[in-house]
Amino acid sequence: MYVAVKGGEQAIANAHRWLADRRRGERDRPELSVDQIAGQLNLAVDRVMAEASLYDPELAALALKQASGDLVEAVFLLRAYRTTLPRLAETVPVDTDAMRVERRISATYKDIPGGQVLGPTYDYTHRLLDFMQLAEGETPEPARAEQALEACPQILELLDDEGLVEREVDDGAAPYDITRDPPDFPVDRATRLQMLARGDEGYLLALGYSTQRGYGRNHPFAGEIRIGAVEVEIVVEEREAPVCLGEITLSECQMINQFGGSREAAPQFTRGYGLAFGRNERKGMAMALVDRALRAEELGEPVQGPAQQAEFVLAHADSVEASGFVSHLKLPHYVDFQSELELLRRLRRDHVARHESAPSAPAETPAEEPQA
Amino acid sequence: MRWKAFPDPVHDGQRQFRRVLAAMAEPGTLQVAEAPAVPDDAAIGAALWGTLLALCDLETRLWIAPGLEAGGLIDALGFHTGCRVTAAPEEADFALVTPASLSAPAPAFAEGSDAYPDRSTTLLVVLDALAEEGPWRLAGPGIPGTRTLEVGAAAPLMRRLAANRARFPRGLDAILTCGERLAAIPRSTRLEAQALGQPQEDSACMSQ
Amino acid sequence: MNGYNFAYLDEQTKRMIRRGLLKAVAIPGYQVPFGGREMPMPYGWGTGGMQLTASILGEEDVLKVIDQGADDTTNAVSIRAFFERVAGVETTTATADANVIQTRHRIPETPLAAGQILVFQVPIPEPLRFIEPSEEETRMMHALEEYGVMHVKLYEDIARHGHIATTYAYPVKVDGRYVTDPSPIPKFDNPKLHMSEALMLFGAGREKRLYAIPPHTRVESLDFEDHPFEIQEWDAPCALCGARDSFLDEVITDDRGGRMFVCSDTDYCQNRQEEVA
Repeated sequence: MYVAVKGGEQAIANAHRWLADRRRGERDRPELSVDQIAGQLNLAVDRVMAEASLYDPELAALALKQASGDLVEAVFLLRAYRTTLPRLAETVPVDTDAMRVERRISATYKDIPGGQVLGPTYDYTHRLLDFMQLAEGETPEPARAEQALEACPQILELLDDEGLVEREVDDGAAPYDITRDPPDFPVDRATRLQMLARGDEGYLLALGYSTQRGYGRNHPFAGEIRIGAVEVEIVVEEREAPVCLGEITLSECQMINQFGGSREAAPQFTRGYGLAFGRNERKGMAMALVDRALRAEELGEPVQGPAQQAEFVLAHADSVEASGFVSHLKLPHYVDFQSELELLRRLRRDHVARHESAPSAPAETPAEEPQA
Repeated sequence: MRWKAFPDPVHDGQRQFRRVLAAMAEPGTLQVAEAPAVPDDAAIGAALWGTLLALCDLETRLWIAPGLEAGGLIDALGFHTGCRVTAAPEEADFALVTPASLSAPAPAFAEGSDAYPDRSTTLLVVLDALAEEGPWRLAGPGIPGTRTLEVGAAAPLMRRLAANRARFPRGLDAILTCGERLAAIPRSTRLEAQALGQPQEDSACMSQ
Repeated sequence: MNGYNFAYLDEQTKRMIRRGLLKAVAIPGYQVPFGGREMPMPYGWGTGGMQLTASILGEEDVLKVIDQGADDTTNAVSIRAFFERVAGVETTTATADANVIQTRHRIPETPLAAGQILVFQVPIPEPLRFIEPSEEETRMMHALEEYGVMHVKLYEDIARHGHIATTYAYPVKVDGRYVTDPSPIPKFDNPKLHMSEALMLFGAGREKRLYAIPPHTRVESLDFEDHPFEIQEWDAPCALCGARDSFLDEVITDDRGGRMFVCSDTDYCQNRQEEVA
C-alpha cells in the first residue's frame, strides 16, 4: 500500500544541521573568524558588497563565512539583509575626483599629472603558486611613501578641456531608484548603471569580452582606472556644509571609446563608465565596456552584439535573480510534468493509430515515411 | 493632535486595507470601518480617515478638493503619514473629492495610459449617502449578476465613473465613503442609472 | 521574531504592495509593476507570493500553504514555517478552514468560498513571454489588445500535433480584455478560475509584477471553435480515495513499471478517505 511521504519538516531541519556541520569542518581545526575573512579574503568581501549593494565589510565577511565561501550565496544573504534596512538619508553624490587614491593608472598617456600609481595589484605577479604560503611564511611590510598621494585630476578632464571627449553633464534630475521601483524598459543610462553596478561580475566580464571580439566592437582604451577612498556626505538641516559620515573604498573605470560625430557635431571620443564598491577593478572595467556597448542606440551605432541589447543584458545581470530562478528547477514540478506526460501519451497513441490506419505506408522503409 | 492615528498601526492598518480590498474586489458591497473618530469640524468621515492612514505615506501624493481640508486635515496627514499634498490633479496618486467637486471644470486626474493603466489617480470620495440597494446598477468583475447602490446626490461622480468603460483600461477607481461606511467602484465596473427608486431611509450618514 | 516587523516586510513596503493590489483588482488580469523586494528565500521559490501574503496577512487570518497541491512538500513546509515564525499566524491544512491560501501550481479541489483569498506564486507572469521575449514589445501588445500571436502559436500546435500542446500555464482571457498567465497550474484547474467565489492574487517576485482576478469574473481559456478547450482526464480513479474528479499524480511504485495514480490535493484526498472509513 502506497503512503504519501510525510516529514518534510524533519528533513529540512536535518539538512540544516548537516549543512552547519559541513560548514564548520574539522572540529580540531580553529574556526575561521569574520575578522580573518574581512582582513585576508578582502577581495571576496568587496565583490560580495558590490553585488549585494551594501557597503559593510563585516557583514559581507559574515555572509561569506555563513555561505562557506560561495560568493553567489553570500551576495544573496547580504542582499536579503539589505532590503530590511530603513532608508535614513540620501548622500550627496560622491566625488571621485577627490579620491584618496591607492592605485591610479592610465593606458592612454605614458606620464600623467599625479603619476601612474600601481598600488597593490596582481597585474605583474607571475602566476606561480607560492608554496611558501603553505608553510605560513612571514610577509614583509610594504614599502611606504613618505606622504599620502594628493587628490589628482581625472585624465578625461584633460581631454575634456580640448573638447576631444564628450562631456558628462549632471542635469540634476533625481535618478530612478531600482531598489524601490521596478525598471520599465527602455531605461535611461543612470538606471542602467545602477543595474550594472550590482550585476554579476562573471556575466559582465563575458559580455564586455564579447564586445572586444567583435560582437558590438567600440575600440576601448582604459582612460583611467582609480581605486581609493572617498568621503560619504549627507546634508543635515541647520548645517551649511554637508557632514561627512565616513569613507568607503571605490573602484572607478573610465573607458575612452571611438568617436561619434555628425555633420553638426564635431567628432569626439565617447565614454564608458564603471564603478564598484571596494577593490573591484575587473568588475569596473567590464561594467565600463558594457555601459558603452549599451549606448549604441543613443550614439547611432548598429545594434549587432548581445552586449548592445539593453533589455537582454540588464534583465539577466543580477545573480540573485538568476541563481534563484535556475535553482527553482529543483523544486517539485510533478503536477506540470504529469500534465505533459498525459499529453505526450495521448499524442503517441494518436501517432500509432494514424500509422496503423494507413496500411499504404511500407513498414520496411521508415526512411520514406511521410513526415507528420 | 485632534486627529488620531490607529491605536495599533500595523494591525489596524492591515484590517483597514483588507476592508478596502474587499470593497474593491466586490464592487457595491458595504464595509464598515473601525477607524479613529475624526474631529467635529472635519469634512471627511472615519472610513476615509482610516483609508488615508492605511494607504498613504512619503511616497504618495494627495490632491484635496477645496473645503475637504477642514479641521486641520493637511497638518494631520503630514504628521501621521508624511504624504505630500499636490495642487496638480494629474500628479495625484489619491484625490479627496466630493461629487460636486467633479463638476465642470473637472480636475484632470491621471487616468494612466494603455501601456501603464495603473498610473492613475484613485478617487477617495466623500458622500452624503451610501447604502446597498439604490438607483445605480453595477455589473462586471466582482459582481454576481448585478448589484445596486445608493450614493445620494452624486451625478457628476457617477457620470465620470460611468465613462470609465469607454476608456478601459485607462480610468479612475473610486473608493466611496460616508461616515464609517465604505464601498468601491473600480474602473472595471459597468455602471448605469436604473429607474429611480426612493432612497433608503438609512442611507444618509453622519459625517463621522 | 526579533528585529523584524510583523510578517517580515516593513510597513512602507506593505503599503506599496497594497496600493498595487488595489490597482490589480481594479484592472483584472493586468500586470502591475511593483517594487519587489528581496526576500530571505531565493527568487523563483515563491518570493512574489510571499510578498503578497505578507502584505495582506493579519493576526486573525488562518493560513494554508500548498505546493503541487500538497501541504507537506518541502517548499510548502518551508514557507508555512516562515509565516508561523514572522507573523505567528494560525496555519491549517484544511482548505475550508483557511482564509488565505498561498499556492504553487494548483488550485485546491474543494471549491473556494466567499471571503477566501488565494495567492499564487508566479515564475513568469507574462503569457506572451515565450512568443516575444522583449518586455517593451509585450507591453505594447497588451496595450493594443493585440493577441494574434498567441492564437497563432496555439494553432501551430494543432497543425503539428493535432492538439494544443500547452498543458499548464494555459493562457486565459480575463473579463474579455487581458490575456493572462494563470501561473503554472495544470489546465485542469483553469475552469476553477472562472466565476470563482474567492479573490485570486498573483505575485511574481523576480519579475516584479502582481495581478489579480476578482471573484465572479469571467475567465476564458483561449481556444478555437474546432478545437475547444478541454482538461486532462485519467483512465483510473485515485488509488487512495477513489476520486474521479481530481487531478492525479502518477506515482512509480517499483522498478518494473508499476505505477499508481493518487490525488495531488492531499487535503482533499484525506477528507475523502476519512469519509469512506
